[in-house]
Amino acid sequence: MLRIGIFALFLLCTARGSQVCYDRIGCFTDDIPWSGTAERPIYRLPWSPERIGTQFFLHTKENGNNYQEISAVNSATIGSSNFKTSRKTRFVVHGYIDEGEEGWPSDLCKRMLTVEDVNCIAVSWKKGARCQYSQASNNVRVVGAEIAYFVNVLADQYSYSAANVHIIGHSLGAHVAGEAGKRRPGIGRITGLDPAQPYFQDTPIEVRLDKTDAEFVDVIHTDTAPIIPNLGFGMAPAIGHLDFYPNGGVEMPGCDKNPLSQIVDLDGIWEGTKDFVACNHLRSYKYYSDSIVYPDGFLGYACGSYNAFKEGCFPCPSGGCPNMGHYADKFKGKTSDSFVKLYLNTAEARDFPLWRYKVSVKLSGSSKVTGYVNIALYGNNGNTRQHQIFQGSLKPDNTYTAFVDAERKVGQVTKVKFLWNNNVLNPTLPTLGAATVTVQFGETGEVFNFCGSETVRENVLQTLTAC
Amino acid sequence: MMLPLRLLLATLLIALALGAPSERGLIFNLDTGELCLQSAQCKSGCCQRDSGLSLARCSPKAAETQDCSLKSPYGVYYKCPCENGLSCDADWSIVGSITNTDYGVCYDKRDPTTSR
Repeated sequence: MLRIGIFALFLLCTARGSQVCYDRIGCFTDDIPWSGTAERPIYRLPWSPERIGTQFFLHTKENGNNYQEISAVNSATIGSSNFKTSRKTRFVVHGYIDEGEEGWPSDLCKRMLTVEDVNCIAVSWKKGARCQYSQASNNVRVVGAEIAYFVNVLADQYSYSAANVHIIGHSLGAHVAGEAGKRRPGIGRITGLDPAQPYFQDTPIEVRLDKTDAEFVDVIHTDTAPIIPNLGFGMAPAIGHLDFYPNGGVEMPGCDKNPLSQIVDLDGIWEGTKDFVACNHLRSYKYYSDSIVYPDGFLGYACGSYNAFKEGCFPCPSGGCPNMGHYADKFKGKTSDSFVKLYLNTAEARDFPLWRYKVSVKLSGSSKVTGYVNIALYGNNGNTRQHQIFQGSLKPDNTYTAFVDAERKVGQVTKVKFLWNNNVLNPTLPTLGAATVTVQFGETGEVFNFCGSETVRENVLQTLTAC
Repeated sequence: MMLPLRLLLATLLIALALGAPSERGLIFNLDTGELCLQSAQCKSGCCQRDSGLSLARCSPKAAETQDCSLKSPYGVYYKCPCENGLSCDADWSIVGSITNTDYGVCYDKRDPTTSR
């Protein structure tokens, strides 16, 4: 049966073994591993550079809100633009169906320019991305070659080192970055934002993004469920030096809203419709975007699995935790030989950063009740909402511990507040209190102790002070 | 005749209220960010909109030191009421209650370390 299947495949794929060659960027074949494997069954050759029409839109602080279109083919456009060799250069590459001229790549550039002085180039290959998926995933090779050619021109004509180049690619764009890095060794950094899974997962490293493609490769995984049957669009295995799996990497909070609420989005119908189709997949660049303005809000905790992270892997080791997103390259041990999986939680809507605390509450009181316990943290930087620590049977003298992903970093914790409730009127009016509360901050491992002497009735806040 | 019926209804409602928070729904138990018409639909207990013309969505209740409004019979808020245990320090006014703009800041009246 298998043989017949393979034979049928051969008959179908009459174009196998062919090759196309283009000026500047060389030849492309559809031999194995590019086509004809289980992962890439359909034979396709990439389109010509003219047909794909890759464009480079330069954003710098001198430009303000306008971009300048530059081109490596006509390299004088680089010299006459606001491109400066004294700055780092970041390419932002979109994925399937998307485009780079408007939309998130240029928004990402504008947001970067609020915190740093950079040549930010939004790369658009929309004509090559708006076609059948199997074709688009082969057009990736030409777009990657175009970026590599661009970096070569910068190196040859402007003495600009490839180590200053950072390529950020989302979905198919992540593999564009991988292709560019394979063709031009020595690129400083590649960030893969949920690299596309179909046609790339389980393929050899020359086909897809891999840690060998740049000096430093960091990846954010947000949609790692299998494409069949769960329609996950992102790659599951760790492929970079640092691989971040926010919220476990499979299902992002805020993405399971009912269809009406998802489509009628705060950011408009178009954004909502995109989220309706691929909410988890698109979260990766939203997290990256927020990480630019919240340098410490996306700490990744090294852990064996997401389940283990929910129970422990806390606090950060003495060397600190790497930041997911823009500042991942600040981490000291970033380019180890092994694959590092990092876990963290994010919020369900903008702004996404959260700060992780470990909270232990020792109860006091006279009687056992059923209900929940909330704790709010107060510090010199403000206070958090009430976060539920435990729900169930509350016994005095028992200690309940939970991890709290707080929506703000409170700084030095000065006091905590305790509240319990069971949503049921109890005629005996039981009282319960917190005898001690211990708070540990994940980023630094600092421990804060708080004591209380009173007990309170349900729905009444008890304030505990440092001790 | 009437009394057992009412008791039955009451127990049904309580059972609904107790069993409710376990899973999210389409009309009740709405998550943060989902469209709502009434605070009773939201898990968080607050259905909030930014202006009279914008759509209302479920939002978390206001924490201490955040802006809040007094509980209103409209069931839709411009600023959410406070979390449990906190009071909204807004003054009640007729105009404010009709236009749903009795705003204040959440505070804890029992907290000895907050000066008010």
